Amino acid sequence: MSGELAQRLEKYLAAKLGESALRVSDLARIPGGASRETYRFRARYGDVERALILRRDPPASLIETDRTTEFRAYQAFHRLGLPVPEPIALELEAAALERPFFVMEEITGCEVASILNPDPYGAHRGKIGEQFWSVLGRISAADVDDIGLGDLEGERDASAAWRHEVARWEKVIDEDEREPQPIARAALRWLKRNPPPPAQKISVVHGDYRTGNFLFDAKGDIRAILDWEMAHLGDPLEDLAWALDPLWAHGDPTHPAGLIARDDAIRVWEKTSGLKADAKALAWWEIFASLKGLAIWISAASEYAEGRNTDPVNAFSGWYCLAFHNKVLAERLSA
Amino acid sequence: MKPEVDQILGLSAQQLMGQVVPLLPNSFAMGSVSVLGMMMTFAAQEYERGADIRVRENADMRALFREAAGTVSDADLKAQLLSAAETRDPSLAISALNLANADLRRLLIRLQAHAEEKGERALQRRIWDVLKASAGRRLLRLA
Repeated sequence: MSGELAQRLEKYLAAKLGESALRVSDLARIPGGASRETYRFRARYGDVERALILRRDPPASLIETDRTTEFRAYQAFHRLGLPVPEPIALELEAAALERPFFVMEEITGCEVASILNPDPYGAHRGKIGEQFWSVLGRISAADVDDIGLGDLEGERDASAAWRHEVARWEKVIDEDEREPQPIARAALRWLKRNPPPPAQKISVVHGDYRTGNFLFDAKGDIRAILDWEMAHLGDPLEDLAWALDPLWAHGDPTHPAGLIARDDAIRVWEKTSGLKADAKALAWWEIFASLKGLAIWISAASEYAEGRNTDPVNAFSGWYCLAFHNKVLAERLSA
Repeated sequence: MKPEVDQILGLSAQQLMGQVVPLLPNSFAMGSVSVLGMMMTFAAQEYERGADIRVRENADMRALFREAAGTVSDADLKAQLLSAAETRDPSLAISALNLANADLRRLLIRLQAHAEEKGERALQRRIWDVLKASAGRRLLRLA
């Protein structure tokens, strides 16, 4: 099967890059989340050998995400000099590989942290931490029109960004819940009753900026921010709150993302973004982050239970992550 | 004494992750099988506690409804609370407990929204006590 896929990919890339002698080899599926099938491969043409990644739509997706958005985000932030892989080709038609896909550069010689690892960064914790929060600050600081992403999905009205996101995830819960979710419903009511202040600016929100979604090398440098499939326009505090969420803290919420201390993380983000993390606004977005998590895990559970996507990660999300965020929200909302 | 289901699942997960995963040919297969092993450890936890969690949660909600019926002024809601408080779990099968749990949770959502709307602080605190206990019991251990 991967032999046939390799042949079809080879034919596509040869035509796309105008290299009739292009050869694809070493195609192998790698972990890359439940919303895309991810493969690593080599492309050889002339004297060139390139390590590349194929991201193909699965038969069903965890959250309906737009591969065009993901590809354009890679383009924009690669041009801006952020650590993201170079995007190579985007194909929306099903003819070439049965489903839409895109191809990008593979960043080699790196690691990705598992959320199950209590200390994935070791001695590089401080260095990676500074980079992790400052890269997020640079994403938040970017002018959405200057980088060509002003038409992304989302909300450009700074006072309505929160409402847009709450509505988006409430719809996911309405459509996908297989059993009543009292904590998610309580969170939705709370978020609507206690709106945050307007966003300081409208930014590109990565949408899933967290530990486990970036590559780092043996020297402790972040080499690639990945998984931009949920990128949208919105309040930059949304990304900050998601990255601070205790689910991604490797067991120590005082050091979000398993990196530097929370206050230091916020200070680095404020310095690089030029924005303020107002405590009350951030607290609202942190409740929202856990609610958004619940919506994603409810959707994952539904995908798995109904047989649309039986990737075991969906079962894990529907059990472990759902229970985790229910506990976080119950503690926060009852305080 | 024969091995129990949770022990079989737990030991099988250990063998899967310790002996099978290192032999797999690529990182995707290793990752997928590791998650399957993790799910087996979760399933082992659920085998032991799944019925107990649901029975306790359902009992907590019925007790809450009985109390709340004494203070809620909405006649329709009061009648539903009293009716739900008198229900019983039809069996200890997980599927039956889940059905009863879903009915009770639906009413809990309505009761909590009502308590918020009416500003009934004591009732809100009592509801959160039930929800916090439920969320705590349902947490899964990673190891």
